[in-house]
Amino acid sequence: MKQRIKLFVNGEAYEVYTEPNRTLLDVLREDLELTGTKRGCDSGECGACTVLLNGEPVNSCLILAPEADGQDVVTIEGISRPTLPLHPVQEAFIEKWAIQCGFCTPGIIVSAKALLDRNPNPSEEEIKMTLVGNLCRCTGYVKIVEAVKAAAEKMRRKIS
Amino acid sequence: MTVQIERESLIGKSLTRVDALEKVTGRAVYGDDIKMTGLLYGKILRSTRAHAKIKKIDVSKAKALEGVKAVVTGRDAPFRGGEALRDQPFLAIDKVRFVGEPVAAVAAIDERIAEEAVKLIEVEYEDLPAVFDVMDALKPGAPIIHEELHTYEHIPIVQPVPGTNICAKFEFERGDLEKGFAEADVVIEDTFTFAPSHHGQIEPFMAIAQVDYNGRITVWVPNDAPSRLRKDLSDAMKIPQDKIRVISPPYMGGGFGGKGGLKVEMVCIALALQTECRPVKIRLTRKETFEATLTRHGAVCWVKMGAKKSGRIIACHSKLYYNTGAYAEKGPTVTLHGCESGVGPYDIPNIKVEGYCVYTNRPVAGALRGYGLPQSSWAHESLIDMLAYKLGIDPLEIRLKNALVEGSINPIRGDELFSVGLKECLEKAAKAIGWGRKRPPNRGVGIACEYKATKTPSGSTAFVRIEQDGSIEVITSSVEIGQGVRTILTQIVAEELGAPPNLIKVSVPDTDYTPFDASTTASRTTFHMGNAVREAARDAKKQLLELASKLFNISPEQLDTWNGKVFPKGGGKELSFKEVITSHYRAGLSILGRGSYYPNIPGTLFSAHSVFYMYAAHAAEIEVDPETGVITILKYAAAHDVGRAINPKACEAQIEGGVLQGIGSTLFEEILFDDKGVMLNPNFRDYKMPTTMDMPKIIPIIVEAPHREGPFGAKGIGEITLVPVAPAIANALFDATGVRMKDLPLTAERVYFAIKKQKEAVK
Repeated sequence: MKQRIKLFVNGEAYEVYTEPNRTLLDVLREDLELTGTKRGCDSGECGACTVLLNGEPVNSCLILAPEADGQDVVTIEGISRPTLPLHPVQEAFIEKWAIQCGFCTPGIIVSAKALLDRNPNPSEEEIKMTLVGNLCRCTGYVKIVEAVKAAAEKMRRKIS
Repeated sequence: MTVQIERESLIGKSLTRVDALEKVTGRAVYGDDIKMTGLLYGKILRSTRAHAKIKKIDVSKAKALEGVKAVVTGRDAPFRGGEALRDQPFLAIDKVRFVGEPVAAVAAIDERIAEEAVKLIEVEYEDLPAVFDVMDALKPGAPIIHEELHTYEHIPIVQPVPGTNICAKFEFERGDLEKGFAEADVVIEDTFTFAPSHHGQIEPFMAIAQVDYNGRITVWVPNDAPSRLRKDLSDAMKIPQDKIRVISPPYMGGGFGGKGGLKVEMVCIALALQTECRPVKIRLTRKETFEATLTRHGAVCWVKMGAKKSGRIIACHSKLYYNTGAYAEKGPTVTLHGCESGVGPYDIPNIKVEGYCVYTNRPVAGALRGYGLPQSSWAHESLIDMLAYKLGIDPLEIRLKNALVEGSINPIRGDELFSVGLKECLEKAAKAIGWGRKRPPNRGVGIACEYKATKTPSGSTAFVRIEQDGSIEVITSSVEIGQGVRTILTQIVAEELGAPPNLIKVSVPDTDYTPFDASTTASRTTFHMGNAVREAARDAKKQLLELASKLFNISPEQLDTWNGKVFPKGGGKELSFKEVITSHYRAGLSILGRGSYYPNIPGTLFSAHSVFYMYAAHAAEIEVDPETGVITILKYAAAHDVGRAINPKACEAQIEGGVLQGIGSTLFEEILFDDKGVMLNPNFRDYKMPTTMDMPKIIPIIVEAPHREGPFGAKGIGEITLVPVAPAIANALFDATGVRMKDLPLTAERVYFAIKKQKEAVK
């Protein structure tokens, strides 16, 4: 029995009809065709599906679609827009070679952005703790942590 | 006007990844992101038994469910495939050999209906005795898993032993082993075990297959070897290769060897043959990815070494038993490569290595980064430390004393070695870790080293196309799995052709258009495809200069290119590539350069000595908490001889990733089974992979011993990056505590009890 839900995703309003036991991840990828958010495990264990729900990073595979009704969602596609500059986190990932296969990258960038929004000067330990829920098999995390540090510095410099 | 071009080489430059922008913005397209019209969704019914006859399958209820378009069992697609040995059916036929083996499958208009339909399929099994342990599978009277082993086709180097569970065995011998041991002052032997682990790619497996009106099959699949997959399918289905097209999705979310060979697409094809030209997509859940794709071989490795008092090792005998699970897959060549590094990177005159690839009723084991070496290395790199201890010699010193050098004879294959950066790797890794300094109690350092061959012989062909607007495309079947293939090939072509990287695009593999490449595996791509694209770029440049020579009115030898322009070597007017081409071909034309690389080494697939060897040495500093057994890695140095680092950051990235992946299987990754062969931890919650909190301080060190045939001297790196991790850490643990571990992983529990036991023994 389908249910109507209204979502605000990356600043745009969407209306979706969906079975109530589908997840936010299903809706984003299949109904809204925003495939930047990835499906890695469907169990909230890998973080590849991380999006911001009302500013908070969540595993979208664990959010039932009706829970997102009326809520504000930001996905990787909303972190920056084509023809506009990249977010400092995205720039830093490119500069620091923090990407390999790229499958975990959207989830990690979303998590990192949320961290820097609330804590502009995180320690290495804080960065690692924030990203502990995002699994990466390719990079060993080394350049990812470097990139988040560099992004934080860049963002602090911009403000000052 | 004279123009002096500042020519800065792109080789050795850490160019940013050419695919970075797509990946950071979420615009990179992976297999599951692909949509197409008419798509059906498939789900698989899997065996719940480890070893059983299939007495009956009733699919009638599933077929009757509305929305179901096809239901298949093994008999609907009676094909058997496998690169080394053709033993694996698309779906089980008459018999299942591991828990998780596909038994039936459904294609429906959506996944939910397919799932419902699968639950309606009834299967009757008759259990057979199962065997899970590799040594048990070798005992006389063990259940035989492949009764028809003698009927399977296989590649020349594979020698199955019918009537047993041995699907392949290898033996290398050199010198006089008996004499060697007789003359040794110290002889030491021991047995080491290696637990099965999983690749852990964050992108799960998937495939789409479609059969068109002419019976031509198209497969979209993230697979590390499109040309090889086409051949594997052609061999299995006994149809010509040109009836099959393999298309790579633009990107692949991690492979590590798992996304190779025949996987999900087998079932997709079986279904697609019945869906009247509609494409069928199957995407595996994380559970299925764990249970029914590939694992790393568990293994039992026995090794014996004999040395003189001086530390010179004069004899080594190893026996390696690889648990390949229910089907061979790459097991035979994994075993072969384990043997190829079976005595370590040492100049040992008397050796014998025996390798056995053994069937059990475990899930299929196959290619995983390291390809047989993590197991054999675990054994000999631990034993050599034990030998050093017995002789009272420093572990670094004993390795330096016996290390292969330029001109050494390869103890396994007998070829003369060149481009050998091993000693430099050992010295640099040791220096970085602070070798020789005394550490406080419970802290220690360990070192380990290795060398690895690449699949030889193997070939690659490529084209470099210059379009009339001056843009350049590299046409290749090499797959971007994250290692940076597109970036490296861009750098090589940019350098050779004299074009800026931003004008260069690298194709996505499609076997209808991109020419043959053996595979994106075995760390062979930079070398083989690098050489091929370099030759293709040279060919394109030659054609370009011939055209330009008519415009400049001087001979082509007096012209050169850089930054997308053609100009006389002595200076003068410059013309862009676009201007050169369009001045000639006013109505438009392409320039097509071609190149191929195939090593000048005779032999069949995998039969020859390697065209290059990668060398590496790792050193670990650890601290262990005796109260909990937890090992903390304080610092980790990894030195790798890559021949020439085309892109240093890319090499560092591979080292860092490989080291952490190795730390995972050393300290906590282990696939666990119950006594019926059911996997107990097929998820990320219970199969623990390293997170950010497990990342130690990693010091990647690049060593360059240029290879005379590699592009700009380059060799390879990826495969060997995790190989020395386990012994380096175990050796550090011994240094810290005097406790020698022989079984992996070194979980806190195991380490705790080992330390406790040793303390009690001392009392």
